[in-house]
Amino acid sequence: MKKKTDVVIIGGGVIGTSIAYSLAKNGVTDVVLVERDTLSCGATGRCAGGIRQQWSEPSNVRLARASIEIFKNFREEMGRDIGLVEGGYLLCAHAEEEAERFRETVAMQRKVGADVRIVTPEEMRDIAPCLNTDGMILGAYCPDDCHADPFQVTQGYAENARRLGVDIELHTEVTEIRKKGKRVAAVVTNGGKIECNWVVNAAGGHSAEVGAMAGVDLPTKSYRHQIAVTEPIRRIQEPLIVDFYVNIYFCQTAHGSFMMGYGDEAEKPGHNVRGTWQFLEEISRRLTGLVPALKDISVVRQWAGLYNMSPDAQPILGRVSDEVENFICAVGFSGHGFMLAPITGVLMAELITYGETRTLPIDELSIKRFEGGVKSAEANVV
Amino acid sequence: MAMINTEILVIGGGPAGLCAAAEAAEHGAKVLLVDDKDVLGGQLIKQTHRFFGSRQQYAGVRGIDIAKILIENAREFGVELTTGATATAIYGDGVVAAATDDGFLKVRPEKIIAATGAYENMLAFPNSDLPGVYGAGAVQTLMNVNGVAPGNRVLMIGAGNIGLIVAYQLLQAGIGVAAVIEITDRVGGYYVHANKIRRLGVPILLRHTVKYAWGGEGVEGAAIARVDERYRPIPGTERDLAVDTICLSVGLTPLTELLWNAGCGMKYIAQLGGHVAWHDENMRTSREDIYVAGDASGIEEASSAMIEGKVAGLNAAYALKRDIGLSKKNYEGCLEDYREQLCQLRRGPFGEKARRGKSALMGAPIPADRPIKSTPVPDEEFQKGARVVIECEQNIPCDPCEATCPHGAITVGEDMVNYPLLDAGKCNACGICVASCPGLALFVLNRDYSQTETEIILPYEFIPVPNKGDRVDACDREGNVVCRARVSRAVKSKKFDRTALVSLVVEDRYADVVRSFRISGIVPETGRIEKPDMSRVDEMDTIICVCEDVTRRRIEEAIDRDGAQSMDEIKRLLRCGMGPCQGKTCQRLIMQILAKKLNRNIEEFKPQTYRGPMKPVSLGLLAKADDEEEN
Ligand SMILES: Cc1cc2nc3c(=O)[nH]c(=O)nc-3n(C[C@H](O)[C@H](O)[C@H](O)COP(=O)(O)OP(=O)(O)OC[C@H]3O[C@@H](n4cnc5c(N)ncnc54)[C@H](O)[C@@H]3O)c2cc1C
Ligand SMILES: Cc1cc2nc3c(=O)[nH]c(=O)nc-3n(C[C@H](O)[C@H](O)[C@H](O)COP(=O)(O)OP(=O)(O)OC[C@H]3O[C@@H](n4cnc5c(N)ncnc54)[C@H](O)[C@@H]3O)c2cc1C
Ligand code: SF4
Ligand code: SF4
Repeated sequence: MKKKTDVVIIGGGVIGTSIAYSLAKNGVTDVVLVERDTLSCGATGRCAGGIRQQWSEPSNVRLARASIEIFKNFREEMGRDIGLVEGGYLLCAHAEEEAERFRETVAMQRKVGADVRIVTPEEMRDIAPCLNTDGMILGAYCPDDCHADPFQVTQGYAENARRLGVDIELHTEVTEIRKKGKRVAAVVTNGGKIECNWVVNAAGGHSAEVGAMAGVDLPTKSYRHQIAVTEPIRRIQEPLIVDFYVNIYFCQTAHGSFMMGYGDEAEKPGHNVRGTWQFLEEISRRLTGLVPALKDISVVRQWAGLYNMSPDAQPILGRVSDEVENFICAVGFSGHGFMLAPITGVLMAELITYGETRTLPIDELSIKRFEGGVKSAEANVV
Repeated sequence: MAMINTEILVIGGGPAGLCAAAEAAEHGAKVLLVDDKDVLGGQLIKQTHRFFGSRQQYAGVRGIDIAKILIENAREFGVELTTGATATAIYGDGVVAAATDDGFLKVRPEKIIAATGAYENMLAFPNSDLPGVYGAGAVQTLMNVNGVAPGNRVLMIGAGNIGLIVAYQLLQAGIGVAAVIEITDRVGGYYVHANKIRRLGVPILLRHTVKYAWGGEGVEGAAIARVDERYRPIPGTERDLAVDTICLSVGLTPLTELLWNAGCGMKYIAQLGGHVAWHDENMRTSREDIYVAGDASGIEEASSAMIEGKVAGLNAAYALKRDIGLSKKNYEGCLEDYREQLCQLRRGPFGEKARRGKSALMGAPIPADRPIKSTPVPDEEFQKGARVVIECEQNIPCDPCEATCPHGAITVGEDMVNYPLLDAGKCNACGICVASCPGLALFVLNRDYSQTETEIILPYEFIPVPNKGDRVDACDREGNVVCRARVSRAVKSKKFDRTALVSLVVEDRYADVVRSFRISGIVPETGRIEKPDMSRVDEMDTIICVCEDVTRRRIEEAIDRDGAQSMDEIKRLLRCGMGPCQGKTCQRLIMQILAKKLNRNIEEFKPQTYRGPMKPVSLGLLAKADDEEEN
């Protein structure tokens, strides 16, 4: 392992590897990415792989749109098939209030350029013939949305980063961050110390712990989020469907299996990632309610991962404290870090390479937004 | 389905689980046992042969009959037995879920005993994914449980006890066995088992491996070859066999998914068959509420599985919060007795693996083996008269011969692994012991049958049994026909279970040569072998993960190109282990590939992260579940 480098990235999830690749692409190749276990072992390897533009916050819509472009070109640029299913996203509204909110956000999303439209229950059934639309008033549909395999994406980034000269050190855990004045000087790992000019915190569910090592109190907390997958069956559903009222999202992967999850309000912050039987039963009730045709299909696995949450469910990007100038964070992605990873990589790499982002501004996602309390939170989270 | 509360939940209804459950229930605990099969008994129900071990553990009785006794026992003590219920996960709140055909059970036990047994190791070679390649256990189930013949002519791979026994059972079912091949330089199983099939004409080829199979719809043949010291095939030694079935008997791996899932501390112990849950002498794992027993805690025998089960059951019952009336004295007495029995079973060369394995697991010194006293006495004395000859020349844990001789002529002694010794003066050549020996290693010779002839009483476990007066082909210990012989007597007695005693009359010079016979050719003859061009067969195209169709090449690429260094990474990249078998087929093979390519020891690799449900459960069943408590 190198003893000295330009940039140390902490975390081998999709965010860390995406940043590593983009840095190398910008010519910053003296980079060491350290991962305490294996690539994708955190939230990345546990996520559903959904990619959508239908967010309530314009900044999220913009970021997601920029990411989708990159996902669609991934195969060409990276030479790896990422199991992209371009089946769109269908959001369901049950109550009039919710329908009204949909109409408003769709208008906003369209203004930002997303190809989203309001659909009637009948149209919803055309889009997803197996969906039981009883009690639904309308839907919001974006055919451009998609889902992909997070392992392959992460692997694609890692492999190309390596090819361009980045060192990826697995089974290497950062235990301490050493500072000199207002700068990070080195990270200490179980494999030795690395002196560096920049440290990037892409530690996902452990972002706050890594922040604390640098003396920064990050307002992120981690919450367990459970998910399950069925055996593969013939293709019966194209879009990823989200129902905020029932509280569920589900999609059919490229491999044919259904993947489904929901957020549980009662979760307490922590690092517990064990699955529960209650979830297994509850998700089955919700899913078979919405897609009765699935009742004979079997669940083959359940698991859980961590949503790293910021106070407004949006990521915190960039510098986080005047006390540590060269400590960059890309954390607090809630349930949408996978889809934001490509653009996040580009932006964080620009920040390090050029001292500022060029593709999009990130001021709205700076930690400074929390000064004086949370103003507007992302509403479209499951 | 509602929540079921019980004091002790036993997972698995093989010998270990049944004994654990009966033991705990006998001492007053409320016990529920779940097993995924429709019939209880685990491995035992496939075993039509007489068991080894000690008489306390029913040695000399056929496995299937032992199962009946154990089930009856458990029932008598009030164990609630649920079949067709697969434990799918042990959750963080202590709840164990189990899937049945029509429900999703949730059990909240105070203690769990995992007695889930083991699964068979697979071997991958070009075309090993053809229909007709089976594990030995699958072949046994087909034949002995479902009554279906797996094929007409079999190549058996592996000369351990299971390979030898299954080869014998195939022959009993009238199926030909072309050969038993074994890659090491010795027969791993008991010689008495090897001798049984040798004298039926099946060659046991040591230092041999299978190179590839061929076939269209199914296996049509296999190429075998000799190997060098590093187990690589030696060019030019290749030989083709026309077989339609390849039976793999290359070891077992403890089934520990649930224990991983429950977060028990695990350790790789080669002698125990792979990763096992760390456990102490009381069979308790690193989780105080979870116990293990039987093959799941290390591959051994049914006899030790039963005692381990009792130890686990006893300790789980004793540790219950409720006072069940099990006194300390009673507890300690039972425990000491069981420990002594285990110690006995693990004596001798065949107990060495378990002795070493268990001490490595517990970090305890290896218990010194008590010296084995007896040695076989050369049988030169026996030139006239009539008596038994004992062809049992290994220190195996077995003693039914001693018990069955009504005249006390055979002594094994306290230590079951001693050789049986004969007090020739006491033997009156009655032949009773011949039928009781699970090794078919006893023969009675009457050298004075006539001036020139000797009568030999042979054990015979085939049908039809010849009749008095029939003439048969008498064979030597290798199964070569040496002469014709006359049947002078054929005894089929209920008392002898399914072993008949057939007396042959042969010329004196064949008295020490003839040890079996053939009514007609048991091994079907084969014609010329038709084989497609196999010159371009590539080992890299071998399918390793059958569920997801992944070749060795792709796995090696994932290691070389993608830098994968663990089972989990390979699973993420290639989906190996995500299929219905949950990695039971491919995982060990992949870990071997990893170890070889990365030049590391196999014990450094962990299996994939196990995630429930261990068996697919339909969404409909899960959705129906209700969460009331039931008592
Ligand atoms: C069940 C579930 C479903 C989801 N579904 C979606 C979805 O459909 N779409 C979507 O966009 N997002 C989804 N997400 C969110 C998404 O998975 C995450 O936002 C994203 O993967 C975050 O990536 P990351 O690289 O920041 O974090 P991670 O993947 O968690 O990576 C962080 C890495 O840092 C390592 N690390 C931590 N501490 C240290 C240390 N001290 N030293 C070295 N290494 C360290 C960890 O081992 C880990 O590998 C979902 C999440 C979950 C849990
Ligand atoms: C060919 C052959 C010959 C043998 N000969 C002898 C011999 O002569 N003498 C001797 O002592 N031993 C012999 N053995 C070994 C003996 O059969 C095993 O050691 C013994 O059966 C192990 O007992 P067990 O209870 O640990 O496991 P098993 O008998 O394998 O029983 C485990 C049970 O648990 C069930 N189960 C597994 N997972 C779950 C789950 N998740 N939920 C519910 N149920 C589950 C299984 O289906 C099975 O019924 C032989 C074995 C074989 C294969
Ligand atoms: S032949 Fe009869 S007397 Fe002789 S050892 Fe056997 S049982 Fe005993
Ligand atoms: S001779 Fe005795 S010890 Fe040997 S196999 Fe037969 S019964 Fe067992």
